[in-house]
Amino acid sequence: MILGIDIGGTHTDAVCLSGRDILSTAKTPTGDDLVSSIMEALGSLGIKYSGVKRVVLSTTLSTNAIVEKKYAKTGMIVSAGPGIYPGRYFLTDSFHLVQGAIDHRGREYVPIDQQEVLKASRHLKESGIEGVGIVSKFSVRNPAHESFIASLLKDDFPFVCQGHTMSGSLNFPRRINTTYFNVAVMPVQERFVSSVQKALAHLGVNAPLFFLKADGGTYASSAANRLPVETILSGPAASMMGALALTKRPEGTALVLDVGGTTTDIGILLDGRPILEPKGVDIDGRKTLVRGLKVVSVGAGGDSCVWEQDGELRVGPARSGPPACMGGVVPTPMDVFAVRGEFEEGDAGKSVDALSPLGDHLGMDIPQLNAKILSTIVENIRKAAKEFVDEVNSHPVYTIHEMLHPDIVQPQRVILIGGPARLLKPYIEASLKMECEVPEHAMVANALGAALARTTAQITLVADTQLRRIVCPELHMEKEAKQTLSMDELKAFGFAAIRENASLLGLSDNAEFSVIEEQSFNMVRGFSTVGKNMRLKIQTRPGILHEWSGK
Amino acid sequence: MIKAKKRTGLIFFPAYDWEITPTHPERKERLLYTQDQVLEEGILDIEGIREFKAGLAEDHDINRAHFCVPDVGSRITPSHNVSAGGCIEAARLVLDGVVDNAFALVRPPGHHAMRVVQGARGFCNINIEAVMAEWVRSHYPRIKKIAIVDTDCHHGDGTQDIYWHDPDVLYISIHQDGRTLYPGSGFPAEYGGPNAAGLTLNIPLPPKTSDEGILYAVENLVMPVLDDFKPDLIINSAGQDNHYTDPITNMSFTAGGYARLNEMLGPDICVLEGGYSIEGALPYVNTGIILALAGVDYSYVREPDLDPVKLKQDPRITDYIKALCEQILTLWKTRAGLRPERRPFIERFRSIFYDTDGISENQQEVLRYCTACPGTFKIDSAATTGYHILGIHVPRHACNACRDQGMSWLDNPAGSYHAVYMQDMDQDQYILRKL
Repeated sequence: MILGIDIGGTHTDAVCLSGRDILSTAKTPTGDDLVSSIMEALGSLGIKYSGVKRVVLSTTLSTNAIVEKKYAKTGMIVSAGPGIYPGRYFLTDSFHLVQGAIDHRGREYVPIDQQEVLKASRHLKESGIEGVGIVSKFSVRNPAHESFIASLLKDDFPFVCQGHTMSGSLNFPRRINTTYFNVAVMPVQERFVSSVQKALAHLGVNAPLFFLKADGGTYASSAANRLPVETILSGPAASMMGALALTKRPEGTALVLDVGGTTTDIGILLDGRPILEPKGVDIDGRKTLVRGLKVVSVGAGGDSCVWEQDGELRVGPARSGPPACMGGVVPTPMDVFAVRGEFEEGDAGKSVDALSPLGDHLGMDIPQLNAKILSTIVENIRKAAKEFVDEVNSHPVYTIHEMLHPDIVQPQRVILIGGPARLLKPYIEASLKMECEVPEHAMVANALGAALARTTAQITLVADTQLRRIVCPELHMEKEAKQTLSMDELKAFGFAAIRENASLLGLSDNAEFSVIEEQSFNMVRGFSTVGKNMRLKIQTRPGILHEWSGK
Repeated sequence: MIKAKKRTGLIFFPAYDWEITPTHPERKERLLYTQDQVLEEGILDIEGIREFKAGLAEDHDINRAHFCVPDVGSRITPSHNVSAGGCIEAARLVLDGVVDNAFALVRPPGHHAMRVVQGARGFCNINIEAVMAEWVRSHYPRIKKIAIVDTDCHHGDGTQDIYWHDPDVLYISIHQDGRTLYPGSGFPAEYGGPNAAGLTLNIPLPPKTSDEGILYAVENLVMPVLDDFKPDLIINSAGQDNHYTDPITNMSFTAGGYARLNEMLGPDICVLEGGYSIEGALPYVNTGIILALAGVDYSYVREPDLDPVKLKQDPRITDYIKALCEQILTLWKTRAGLRPERRPFIERFRSIFYDTDGISENQQEVLRYCTACPGTFKIDSAATTGYHILGIHVPRHACNACRDQGMSWLDNPAGSYHAVYMQDMDQDQYILRKL
């Protein structure tokens, strides 16, 4: 059995699966204490825990800690070298900029000054700081400066993170943000994992604990303790993976619309895989290197407020409390369904009371107004979806081959999930002119998405045969490269490295790896080739467990 | 987060799958380290700086600037469609107001490609700035006057050739003195054709000129000339081989100097040209230029091995440049007097060598002297490839007499040509008659 639990802002959803069967589902309100909320949801499942083999959590823990700034004071030691002045990247007053410069090929130009780092370290220690992030520019090409600074800190701080282990991608400001947030939430995550494990053990669940990440994959709790920042924004990831698990036709290109009360999340599934945000996701107005799903949120949901501006009917983007039929004051799309008798929980009388003045003002009777409201909200969703697809297709390409043979993403169908999904289906279908599927069990799509997501990880390898170096930042690995190294040899090295480090990365034993990016350049100096510069990214793709998808 | 003062568009097209030959300086790897630096600095995350996808220039776009022999398809590869298309896209973004300025960081380059293209010269097949400028003039009639300021270390003899007779396009080139560097041209005496005299300005600087000298020329010569000309659009042919680390030139310019130059010049569009110090210069120069365009502080951008003392300019060079700038500024101010005396036609003979392809060409050009319009002209071109063609150019805003003359040349080519071409700029029509 697998337990999937999605802790949302208002509700905690839980689902218990065995093979392709959903044995039980539960939905309970989320309280202040997340561990109790999890236990309450599990209690409502009414199952025996002895057969549980895997527990997966999708939580807002680190997202909330970051957004609400509920973390301990965190220090940073950063070396930038020449470039954009990093003053704007100071996230904390315990930010120490130290000397040191490494260039794009990982060559050192200015060394780290040991005394300067020790002084910064003493200062951090005296301020009572427990977590320190260490970042240097181009550390993913040569982690020596970060590693040296870390070695100088010795065991003075319980939580220390080096920027290059966060991600192998280039982007110094994002590396600073990512490392800072990661160190900041490490203690929060560690406490949480330990409490959840205790509570589960108390229930008699003796199964490994996994967390859902922003990229729609999962990782073991040990890896989540090391890299908690990857759990930010797992909510949209849960819904996309849920849609993927629930759809009857995972192949082809599908637009996923998760219509909630306030917003609709829009994403794309390409042949059974969600598409990713190439640079990394944003949190609390800061850009990070955290790999996440490409999702856009538009202010259009079942509870969006219906209003009027200059004689034009508007729906959203804001929500002003619950629908009138549920005791609110402003009319909403849900009131339209209440009036039509399609939303039985609502008080249709109150909906009519809220809609009538607006209809009078716009010179429409209630049926006309209702039709206008639905066409407006659906049009807002259609426009946002079109912009989203256009944006996906406008990403720059760097080779002539891709320029002449572009991969155009063109959704052929819609998977619609979320509260008002079933009610909106005919209107979305008509407006987007695509077949629209509202899968069963859509109510617990998020918990199901978490339960069924495969483990994922990504590593980056850069080989420079002139400098005789292979660097794999995520694995904190550096090896000598022979001069004749080929791409095939580099791949073999990479596959072996990711397999050997599966437990560090939090991967399942049966994880499958594939190359997502490979580039090889002859390095030409003075009309002769002096070496090769190769770049490689290997990943386990986000996807649904084989036991469920049958593939 | 850093906010840019100006909205800056970036078209990055490194053509990672294109090279002239595996060990040629114009190689696949050329923009790799620039991309690394731009990504690592987080430049694309600066609010206001946005990257856009390149486009594809069509044959029609290329025909506005060139007579390609025997035709466009034979003279270019798809990489040229993209690099010219990237420039067009940059111009579109600026002229449609999507951004305030744009940088086409594309390859292959183009400023050695002349109007007649019998082969490749100086790593260039087609002139990507000219293709862009002609696209702009055909699509945005409000753009009447364009200034192209070429800061590549090599004289942009191709751009000079294409705009030699055009009084509406001011071409200014700052470069290492042609007596010491390819292509060997670009002296003050080359100041434009009879109908556009003074609208080509060449500023040849001595080897070892540093930031001080180049910035002096921009501040004291280029800027006053631009203030006077009042262009509707400023294009910088942003070659980066004046850099002190460039392997095939001898100047002492720095990344900081390039950034300051662009800050002073304030171009609407920058286009990458040459620059082959792909590790030591391009990453820093491009970073500096992008930041300068966006109005973001670039004062900490410097090469990690920069030694300002070593790059200090010899005072004799300083004096030489001051005198040179004064001489050229005088030439500009007295350009009305440069126009030759009236005669019906003016002829010019030239030999052109296509170094990249090893082709020689002889040209005979006949220009109709005209005061009513830029004047129609024809070029008789015979190359060692065996191709002998006639190209006729009927300029924008052509007067009736010039238009009639162009038509008459087209109908009676008088010679044994493989083909006759006509560029009818006002009609945006390009004729290729194979004979």
